[in-house]
Amino acid sequence: MSDAHASHDDSIHPEPTSFLRKYVFSTDHKVIAKQFIWLGLAFLAVGGTMAMMIRWQLAHTGEPFPVIGHAIFSNSAGIISPAAYTSLFTMHGTIMIFFAITPIMIGGFGNFCIPLMIGARDMVFPKLNMFSFWMMFISSAILVASFFMPMGAAAAGWTTYPTLSTVMGTPGWGQTLWVVSIYFAGGSTVMGAVNYITTVIVLRAPGMGYFKMPLTVWGLWLTAILNALFVPVLAAGMILLFLDRVVGTHFFLAGALVKSGGDPILYQHLFWIFGHPEVYILILPGWGVVSDLLSFFSRKPAYGYKVTALAMSAVCVLSAVVYGHHMFTTGLSPLLGQGFMLLTMFISVPAEIFFLNWLHTLWKGKIRLTVPMLFSLGLVFVFGLGGLTGLYLATISTDLYLHDTYFVVGHFHLTMAAAVFLGAFASIYFWFPKMFGKMMNSTLGKLHFWFSFVPINFVFCGMLYVGFGGMQRRLYNPSIYQTFQHLESVNKFISYSAFVMAFGGIFFIINFFYSLAKGEKAPSNPWEVGTLEWTHTTSPPQHHNFDVIPTVLHGPHEFNHPHLTDKDWLGQAEVLPALGAQEAK
Amino acid sequence: MRKAAVAILLAPLAAHATLLGGRPVDVSLDGHRGDWLFDVTTISVTILFLIMVAIMLGAVLFHREKPDDQRKFGEHDHGTSRSHLLFTAFISLTIFFGVDGVLLASSYNSLHEAFWNYPTAAANTVEVEVMAQQWGWNFRYSGPDHKFGTADDVVRFNELAIPKDAPVTVKLRSKDVIHSFYLPNFRTKQDAIPGYTTKLWFQATETGNYEIGCAQHCGVNHYRMRGELHIKERHDFDEWLTEATADSARRYDPNDKEAQWGWDWES
Repeated sequence: MSDAHASHDDSIHPEPTSFLRKYVFSTDHKVIAKQFIWLGLAFLAVGGTMAMMIRWQLAHTGEPFPVIGHAIFSNSAGIISPAAYTSLFTMHGTIMIFFAITPIMIGGFGNFCIPLMIGARDMVFPKLNMFSFWMMFISSAILVASFFMPMGAAAAGWTTYPTLSTVMGTPGWGQTLWVVSIYFAGGSTVMGAVNYITTVIVLRAPGMGYFKMPLTVWGLWLTAILNALFVPVLAAGMILLFLDRVVGTHFFLAGALVKSGGDPILYQHLFWIFGHPEVYILILPGWGVVSDLLSFFSRKPAYGYKVTALAMSAVCVLSAVVYGHHMFTTGLSPLLGQGFMLLTMFISVPAEIFFLNWLHTLWKGKIRLTVPMLFSLGLVFVFGLGGLTGLYLATISTDLYLHDTYFVVGHFHLTMAAAVFLGAFASIYFWFPKMFGKMMNSTLGKLHFWFSFVPINFVFCGMLYVGFGGMQRRLYNPSIYQTFQHLESVNKFISYSAFVMAFGGIFFIINFFYSLAKGEKAPSNPWEVGTLEWTHTTSPPQHHNFDVIPTVLHGPHEFNHPHLTDKDWLGQAEVLPALGAQEAK
Repeated sequence: MRKAAVAILLAPLAAHATLLGGRPVDVSLDGHRGDWLFDVTTISVTILFLIMVAIMLGAVLFHREKPDDQRKFGEHDHGTSRSHLLFTAFISLTIFFGVDGVLLASSYNSLHEAFWNYPTAAANTVEVEVMAQQWGWNFRYSGPDHKFGTADDVVRFNELAIPKDAPVTVKLRSKDVIHSFYLPNFRTKQDAIPGYTTKLWFQATETGNYEIGCAQHCGVNHYRMRGELHIKERHDFDEWLTEATADSARRYDPNDKEAQWGWDWES
């Protein structure tokens, strides 16, 4: 593969001294990473609270939301109205996808991990990196502003299908600002993507071939490629929708109320060409992280490392040609329907391959059940469930019944909520010492894990069951239907499980802030692993990351190398003792 | 030993059987096809998932690092040998052809034999035009002249009656936003999209009163967009249709253009 780069920029830039350049308008990838993570965690709290409101409504229809209900739903004595409910599920999805997962996993860990793990001093375009964060900030400010518009926030669902999302279905500036906000969030994401792709291509340390990169970097890199390819398609959809709403064009308008019609289905094509890769965009960083962590904490090389990287790449390619399965009930032509069904099924092959590699990595390892390892195992468990339940929805004859029911909600939450957030927490617990130079408390971490893992399965498997019962999504009050009345107790069970999970989040918040303030000082390599961020820099790393850019000699998971005697791990740039003389040449 | 193995294999089946009550009663000719495939899928994925969990649990229980063997090294296997690659490929392809393949084949069959195999205009076929709107279902039967969009059409709101044991073909349009015509007891649904005419067919095997839902978020009152479905014996249906015809004729107003949303069936 590639070796030393002639163009490699390893000049050391002086650390900025002013507060503004150091902490606010910083071009340091480590500071920008933290900015993204703070932003993402704040929105995670908002989006999570909205989820609790949705669950409250489904368990205690017509009762005021406890504690903060009267302040938020002041016009209805604390009770969630049908209009408020539609805004809640719309904004819950939007916030979680674009303003919680994207900033934490991609903006945060993408920024933090890529340069450190490939042995670079920063991103290749540090200023673009800064603009990427501030564009995300502007985008989130617009989203927050949309809540205070006269007719309320957006309410057409996170998928925002026209014609409901045009002025015909959702008049008011809330929905328009939503479109603008998503457009800017997309801009931020593409800026980041361009930066990540280029950084990985040109700034890898000497010796760091593509197949010596940690799988975390592979996951983040593939995510960036998908983002650069498909977010612009979403942006195109958003521009057309904006024109329909504000200028009065008819790109997506049709029906009896419009004279000259456009095509609402065109939007669904644009949306899902982006939307299906998007679910992989969200989970790929998690897959990458887990592929590394399972090896690190099994004290064993990642089984079939290269095959895992290639299988994840294959998923990326396939993700572009399966989106039609979101449109099976639109009256898609039978030929297209069957084609998309077959292509969707193909994804299960590469997915099985890296799942098998994960299991093989665990087997006969010497497993250390640290907090990041627990969350990684949790991800494998819930993604297994989420992936397998995808089979029902890829199959048209079962999808006809399950489409737009809670089965879909349970399925995609297992994959892109449960799995992604367990992956995000694994990442936080794992890299927190490197990021902040402090260790997190592992007892609180384990409590957080069990309070997340058990209820999260109850919640989303409960949803699968309710969907199996036939209940549609996005119903303000399912008991309107006789058919679903027997599901009321299951809905209550789901809600109470969700409340327990939310309570478990308190352990994380305490742990996070307590460790920041009073955590034990982290050594440079607390997990005893061989990737560059742990072996060649301090915790936290200095401004320019590495005093000397390391020369990479080994893959990221060289555990139990026969030439080692004193420790079971081998640094990626460590010269092997027995072969020292030979390798130094 | 063998008994234990059988019990473990049957446990997911038993668990599934007790949970079957969650599904609404199937009163359709072809709903069982989806249900059967759902159950087959459930058995397959349950087995795969249990194997996965067993391996994970086994590894965590039996392959934990013990405090005293910190210095003893474990495996340095990268899983890159030819036999390892072949093993992974073999398992993956076995699952693909064994599970995905069965689902694909069965689904293709069901689609071509039933769901996409629209009935020819036989004498007993019932044809209905549906105009979805925020928030309700408008139904239209062609009336005595067997032509849609004429003065003698039978129109009903949120009430669809059909005879048992006769194919029903429904064509859908929407006045405003996208809706989805959903029959939980028939295991099927079809979107109604502004600017499009979509279609769906089904056949009832039981009489009784059931529900029609909207499955696509269509605005604030999406949750209340509920229609009623009355399945009747043929002679009861004919009687109902005669009454409904008279009722529609009484209420027909030639000046109310909005109420005349019917269209020529072939278009």
